[in-house]
Amino acid sequence: MVEFTYAPRPGVQDEAFDAQGTAKVHWQYLLESLQALGAKGLADRQIKAQRILRDDGATYNIYSEQNAPNHDWKLDLTPSLITSQSWGAIEAGLLERSELFNLFLKDIYGPRHLIRTGVIPPEALFLHRGFLRPCQGISVPGEHQLLLHSVDLIRSHTGELQVLTDRTQSPSGAGYALENRTVMSRVLPSLFRDSHVHRLAQFFQKLRTKLTGLCTTQDQPRIVVLTPGTHNEAYFEHAYLANYLGFHLVQSGDLVVRNGHVWMKSLDGLSRVDVILRRVDDSFCDPVELRGDSQLGVPNLLEVVRNGRVVIANPLGSGVLENPIFIKFLPVISEALLGRKLRLPSVPSYWLGDDHDYNKVIHSFDDWVVKPIYRGDSQNSVLVRELSQKARELFVAKVKAKPELYVAQPPICAMHLPSYIDGTLVPRPSILRTFNVASGTSYTAMPGGLTRIGTAENTFAISNQAGAYSKDTWVIASEPERVNTALLGESPTPMREAELISLPSRVVENLFWMGRYAERAEALLRLLRTVFVLLNGEEPVSEVCRRQLLLCITETTSMLPGFKDAKDSLLNDPGEELIAAVADGQRMGSVRSNLNALLYCADESKELLSSDTLRVTNDIRDALHALDDDLAGGLAAAPEEALDPLVTALIALSGLAQESMLRGVGWRFMQIGRRLERTVQTAAIIENLLVVEVSEHDQSTLIQALLLTLENLISYRRRYRARMGVQSSLDLVMLDTSNPRSLMFQLDELNKHLARLPKIPETRHELALEERAALEAKTLIKLTLLKDLSTRENGHRKILKKQLKQLTALMGDVSAYVSNKYFDHKASSQQLVSHGVGE
Amino acid sequence: MLYRICHITEYLYNAPVSHCYNLAHIIPRTSHRQKCISSDITLEPAAAFKSMRDDYFGNRAYHFEIQRSHKKLVLTATSKVETRKQFYDDKLEASVTCAEAWQLLQYTHDAELLMAREFLLDSPMIKIQPELRAYAEPLFTPNKPLLQAVMDLTQKIFTEFEYSPASTTIATPLDVVLNSKKGVCQDFAHLQIACLRALGIPAKYISGYIETLPPPGQEKLVGTDASHAWVSAFCPGQGWVEFDPTNNSIAAEQHILTAWGRDYFDVTPLKGVIFGGGENPILNVSVDVARV
Repeated sequence: MVEFTYAPRPGVQDEAFDAQGTAKVHWQYLLESLQALGAKGLADRQIKAQRILRDDGATYNIYSEQNAPNHDWKLDLTPSLITSQSWGAIEAGLLERSELFNLFLKDIYGPRHLIRTGVIPPEALFLHRGFLRPCQGISVPGEHQLLLHSVDLIRSHTGELQVLTDRTQSPSGAGYALENRTVMSRVLPSLFRDSHVHRLAQFFQKLRTKLTGLCTTQDQPRIVVLTPGTHNEAYFEHAYLANYLGFHLVQSGDLVVRNGHVWMKSLDGLSRVDVILRRVDDSFCDPVELRGDSQLGVPNLLEVVRNGRVVIANPLGSGVLENPIFIKFLPVISEALLGRKLRLPSVPSYWLGDDHDYNKVIHSFDDWVVKPIYRGDSQNSVLVRELSQKARELFVAKVKAKPELYVAQPPICAMHLPSYIDGTLVPRPSILRTFNVASGTSYTAMPGGLTRIGTAENTFAISNQAGAYSKDTWVIASEPERVNTALLGESPTPMREAELISLPSRVVENLFWMGRYAERAEALLRLLRTVFVLLNGEEPVSEVCRRQLLLCITETTSMLPGFKDAKDSLLNDPGEELIAAVADGQRMGSVRSNLNALLYCADESKELLSSDTLRVTNDIRDALHALDDDLAGGLAAAPEEALDPLVTALIALSGLAQESMLRGVGWRFMQIGRRLERTVQTAAIIENLLVVEVSEHDQSTLIQALLLTLENLISYRRRYRARMGVQSSLDLVMLDTSNPRSLMFQLDELNKHLARLPKIPETRHELALEERAALEAKTLIKLTLLKDLSTRENGHRKILKKQLKQLTALMGDVSAYVSNKYFDHKASSQQLVSHGVGE
Repeated sequence: MLYRICHITEYLYNAPVSHCYNLAHIIPRTSHRQKCISSDITLEPAAAFKSMRDDYFGNRAYHFEIQRSHKKLVLTATSKVETRKQFYDDKLEASVTCAEAWQLLQYTHDAELLMAREFLLDSPMIKIQPELRAYAEPLFTPNKPLLQAVMDLTQKIFTEFEYSPASTTIATPLDVVLNSKKGVCQDFAHLQIACLRALGIPAKYISGYIETLPPPGQEKLVGTDASHAWVSAFCPGQGWVEFDPTNNSIAAEQHILTAWGRDYFDVTPLKGVIFGGGENPILNVSVDVARV
């Protein structure tokens, strides 16, 4: 049975098939295996792969889509195959190119011999905005100035492998390549095993070794990954790499320069940072000397680098090597620095600042791919003939005004790779991003790299921004690779003890709030569920009860005016407002807005969350997407069922925190947030349902609502049989320490956690402010007499109300004390002098 | 000539600044006609950390970090500088002609000429525009000695523009200055640099001080000397020659230079990042140049 029909396209070379349409030898095993798997089998694996990617949180943000949710990373299950033998030749070329770029970088920020001796025209360097003059003379310890170098390789239809671009700023993709590999080895285990694929682990080992070695004063330097933040397109990778390599993930606000060093703001104060793996573009890294308008940098960072007290990889200023003008001059640069030609050719590049090149290109402008020399300008390469008439005119005018800012390359029809798209195998053009890291006296290349394929058969621009699929790249040996046991056996360096509490305080703050939002959303969901059930119940609810229940929702969500002082018409037709309390993300206090906040906090503390936790946050995300549809039927259509998946996910989240999170400082803050919030929510619900005096029958309904919401109804019935008494229910929800939803239980836990937070050793024995407030709260409830609480006066249980209000205020104090003491409050900064220009 | 310069910069903030990071170009550099003999910087409040280095252009760059809350910052820089007049100041007509200069700059692979080409390009605050070229072009006839042409341009700017401190700010764009024909030394320097670059002559921005002499019979007042700005043009064979469009002159002994760069952006006397501080801080600058 022929499952797949795949035909290479005439006129275009195919990586897998020769001109006669016969599969190349090294592809045969793979293609046969895929055939054997069949369309159904492959589709199943594809679904499984997508699920794993999603569970790992693999996303890639697309900038042009405002407010768009993260896009799941796309992986095509047919790998790109390269034989060991041809990889050997490619690898040699890649290493040689990195050696050259390293020498070139040294020259650019050093003597600039290449300019002085006329090897390259001065303008080629001096007009590039990536040439950062303040970086003159900075030198990285060790042999290499360029630490990470990536290259995009393209095999043209003639079969020749060429370099399309170099990435030296902060090359991204290695983390995605690792994730692809992880997924492939899980989804197609036997195919992967039998193909003898070269492994990736060694590359990352070398990366870690290199970064560690950059610090010459510490055996165990503190290394951080600096990310622009959760909104960056590749945030997943930043968190993933930080986790894999065992480094802290920090944002600019987590770092500060003091007394000539860089420090990370952590719970126990400032911890010195020795090495920064940077994912922020160099020009944004220091607002004092580089771009003054940058919010992503650390003031005075460059001066610390200059004095050798922190090392940044790649060094600041390295982005200049991405200047495509240099590709034109690479042959002469190579002759000058290496004394020979490069083995690996580049795609021919013409600099429009050169009269000769300009004349060659401008007369056949439609036939060229034209790219700006500086990548930061939110302007991509364009194939001129693909522009609309109007866009073309504008573009030509722009190029003619400043031709020296553009480079032209011929469009390359990349060779095709069989790709499994929408259930069939189809040919797609591809490019390969490779990764080199400085190592020893040379570089180490990741075997293979990250392959990306075009969205259509003849696309020339292949980028993740354009929505491209990725592939794992298999460098395959004819025999199994001998696993270097020495390498595998090497245990990761144990963290210093202090390291365990040295989390960036931003991360801890987000965990605290994650705990609070989770509890808040859960309490609200349970309350709403109760209200839906009661309002739709077979027994009609009295006017008084109805008003009280709806008011309780308004009070706990703080979505005013809501049902406060509401007219009868609204009370009798509360559907719209109730649905809004669930699903309106624009209104603060709704379930959706709380869950959005929760997801944001989870993103910010991603590197501390287990993969199961990420899976649950995905469930929450899914349930939120489904919410509007599920609630479309309004109040009449059992809306409580729509809330169940969210409640379940939140319970899973809290269970995971309990069962699989290390009892570190981060966990403790999350628990503090939870206990604190549950106290506040429970107090609010009790207050709204029990303070106002109502008829006995209504009282019974409201108590039932209270117990149902706090999940205590069954226990209550078992203990007290049918009668719904105020005192006995207050006993259960306030004082009973065996009830994990009682106030007393929360306050006990809260006090325990607060007592175990890291503290500066003090000789005195005074309690810290937050502990005093928590103890006061606990004592307040503990000394309560049920008789007093249930006393009625002028239609209200005044003492109950007063105590609950006091409790809520004390919780507010605890929260404020904790956040003042432990969380960083970043003051806003401004430039002393604004030049009105961006450098 | 030997000078002692005292440059006081004072910032008054509306709200406390909790900490700040600054970079100052405030100590005179050394050049072929000038030597900085000694210098001293004091800060109030005191800096928690400071360092001095030579920057990309060879200027003295001073970094400091204040970690104490303050509403007033005072930076006092004192230096002793010895200056000489420029070698070519009375031999303008002896330079290469404009046409020769263009030829040499384009085709010679001499290191000094190649490196000078950095100063032909757009810089953060100076973008070359056709109007600027048109403004200066008639003065640069192919057979005129280049330095003579540059001096003619210096004179043209001096004659046609009005010195008017209230009319511009640091961020006023060049085309506004060109149209209004008003500005201060910094605007005139930027304008002349832009014209020179538009015509293919490398040009630098120079920040510094100028000694002002009191009217005859009167005593000089302390603090009336100003920080100043002028230009340096590159002439193949002669190297860099300084002109002062604000005073219609070749820079002389009383021009004491602090730093040079592509434009004001590279040599801003004091810049940085402050945390807090409120809006619209008040800046007071006082400069005193005294012969020693």
